[in-house]
Amino acid sequence: MDTKQLWKRCLVEIETGVSKANFSTWFKNTSILREETGIVYVGVPNEFVRDWLKNKYHKLITKTIADAYENMRAVEYVITKLETDRQELSNINQPYLNKELPLKDLYINPDDNLNPRYRFDSFIVGGFNELAYAASQAIIDNPGTKYNPFFIYGGTGLGKTHLIQAVGNAIKEKYQDKKVHYMTLEKFATDFINSLQGNKANSFKEKYRKYDLLIIDDIQFIGKMEKIQEELFHTFNTFYENNKQIIFSSDKHPNHIPELADRLKSRFSAGMIVDISEPEYESRLAILKVKTQELGISFEPEILEYIASVISGNIRELEGNLNIVICQYRLKNKAPTLAEVKNLIKNNIKPKKNVNIKDVVKTVGEYYSLEETSIYEKTRRKEIVKARQVVMYLLREDFNVSYPLIGQKLGGKDHTTVIHSYLKIKADIKNDAQLLQELEQIRALFK
Amino acid sequence: MIKLECEIEKIKNAIYQTERITGKNLTLPVLGSILFIASGKSLKMRATNLSLGIEIEVPAKVEEEGTVAVSGSVLTGIFSNIFQKENVVLEEKDGNLLIKTKKSQIKLKCQPNEDFPTIPKVTGNKFEIDSKKLIDGIKSVYYSSSVSDIKPEISSVYFYSKDDNLVFVSTDSFRLAEKKIKVKNIEEVPGILIPFKNVPEILRVFGEFGGEVEICFNKNQISFSSDNVYLTSRVIDGIFPDYPQIIPKESKTDCVVLKQDLLNALKLSNIFSDKFNQVNLTVKPKEKVFELSSQNNEVGENKTYLDGALSGENVEVSFNYKYFVDCLQSINTDSVSIRFNQSSKPIVVSGVSDNSFIYLIMPMNR
Repeated sequence: MDTKQLWKRCLVEIETGVSKANFSTWFKNTSILREETGIVYVGVPNEFVRDWLKNKYHKLITKTIADAYENMRAVEYVITKLETDRQELSNINQPYLNKELPLKDLYINPDDNLNPRYRFDSFIVGGFNELAYAASQAIIDNPGTKYNPFFIYGGTGLGKTHLIQAVGNAIKEKYQDKKVHYMTLEKFATDFINSLQGNKANSFKEKYRKYDLLIIDDIQFIGKMEKIQEELFHTFNTFYENNKQIIFSSDKHPNHIPELADRLKSRFSAGMIVDISEPEYESRLAILKVKTQELGISFEPEILEYIASVISGNIRELEGNLNIVICQYRLKNKAPTLAEVKNLIKNNIKPKKNVNIKDVVKTVGEYYSLEETSIYEKTRRKEIVKARQVVMYLLREDFNVSYPLIGQKLGGKDHTTVIHSYLKIKADIKNDAQLLQELEQIRALFK
Repeated sequence: MIKLECEIEKIKNAIYQTERITGKNLTLPVLGSILFIASGKSLKMRATNLSLGIEIEVPAKVEEEGTVAVSGSVLTGIFSNIFQKENVVLEEKDGNLLIKTKKSQIKLKCQPNEDFPTIPKVTGNKFEIDSKKLIDGIKSVYYSSSVSDIKPEISSVYFYSKDDNLVFVSTDSFRLAEKKIKVKNIEEVPGILIPFKNVPEILRVFGEFGGEVEICFNKNQISFSSDNVYLTSRVIDGIFPDYPQIIPKESKTDCVVLKQDLLNALKLSNIFSDKFNQVNLTVKPKEKVFELSSQNNEVGENKTYLDGALSGENVEVSFNYKYFVDCLQSINTDSVSIRFNQSSKPIVVSGVSDNSFIYLIMPMNR
């Protein structure tokens, strides 16, 4: 039985029997909740309405329902939450509710600039960052002596900031007397410029040198700032001499930061340089799981698996996409299906690139300083063979081109030749770090 | 056909109380009226706005029993201008209510009363409490409730029983007030949310009243009844935030200052505070400095120093003046204890050696 329809029909009937004012006062926000063994349960917003319906309109209601639904034996009134829509919304808001007071606890501490949210508890260690993680643990155990400076680099959104802030938080907790300070290079630069303007260069030096651990984020922008490089150099030396830990993060290896003074380059290299690469599938899945757990939401495993499989690369993107799904979940208050999720994040998935085969050949040729045409030639010169195999590997691995097509385009080779080349490179990169690096650099050229 | 005689003061009070609870701006006009029910030896007056309902009984010499409904606002208008001390006679005649005193004769149009609703009689758990304690509990916290309807759970006064206490709590998520009232052998109260909008009426009805109030509640409705008053309110179906976890257990800086000094200083600071009511507080225990300051580009600035017992770390915080001043009315001791945990954590305010009341204020961000 469709209770909605039934109640609608009854209301039309009742409306004719009572005055308009009475109708809108007493019958607004009512509904039939359910029917069980002939008892019809009418939902009402509050006790006042229940009382009055029972006392005044019971006969009318009973009669009207009985006319429309012959199996009815009795009518009961039940108080339900008012306006289900609004109530649902406020239910969803519930998790945020008690956050406002404590949330402000999480604000960045002005003394050390660290965000307490960044902790190792929420840091996921996987193959892509385990070296960086291990090194940072060593630093926490022996700050200032083991790996000083600690230089960490990797692409955007891979958790560099999280890691270095977590180190700061951990050191702060472990050694109560140590003063920790986190800042971005930009802050360092503005501070320095302000101190020059105010003729307070000395106080600037003192300000930073009083810390026991200095963390500078996004150091890659230092390239063009000559004066600041100099200042950083001095600050660095003071820290280093006093065995105080200093941590840098950058999105590039120091050797690739343009216009970085050699003396800084060599200083950065003196400690420990580690990179964080892109997380592999398992780590991505682990990140999504932790993130959903934190928020107290559970999704079907295949949804998380799907997100982890299609969004590769950046962790920030991964979280962003998860947030889209969570937002949808909160809005509708029901878990989305896999199909809905696919639809939601379809715009954020990077399509597999359709790259012109010629372009690939050209880029690889340029990288190895070879003539583009020589790759198409039938020659067994060692350097050309290697370049050709790299082209085939990339076309297959990154761009999903079919073996026969690759063979055809590269001077009419048999598809088995292509398969051989592909497998050869694939096997070689496992042992040949040089080759792997070359491939990474070539790939970077396509971006 | 109602006909009765009753003391004017008694009926006047009852009208004032009930009129406030009549429904204004409702689609059903009869809710704007007070229903008079004469039966036995008393006159009952009833009003409701469908969120609150009230019934007050006054003794009367009833000659003829009956029921009439008359506009509440008209009645208050009439009775606030009758100053005689004698009895008043009410009589219904031809759809009019005649109000007669020695010196005045008033004829008032009646409303059809068959549409006037009943007031729910609450059934459920019951307990009795001294009305002064009840009012004290509610009054100590209700100003901290959220005014907006968006989160009904916190737009309310929450109370529950714990050990031998009845605990009242309100928060708007920027500050929080908690008051514990000792009640012996209290019935277990699981936690009731009274809508904030109904609280002022409850305070008004029972504020002047001394004696025991019987509270009866279930998950939809609560009622307060004394000898002659029955007041009932809907309750909010929701869950109050788990607040005890955010009350700091320890503190890094402790201050004790005189309440009156603090109040004066805060009021002075407010003259110079900006549109966000920001007042800054600096405490340096070693130098014995407790400084309140505020500045406003258009008015000027001020600094006030208070004497007090200070200990712990130095701290600087900013807060909303209003949030601080609000809580002082609920502190009954002469000295106020203020505790800090760095500048980003809630400030804890309470009376010295009085742990029945505790108040948290979130500092402002600078």
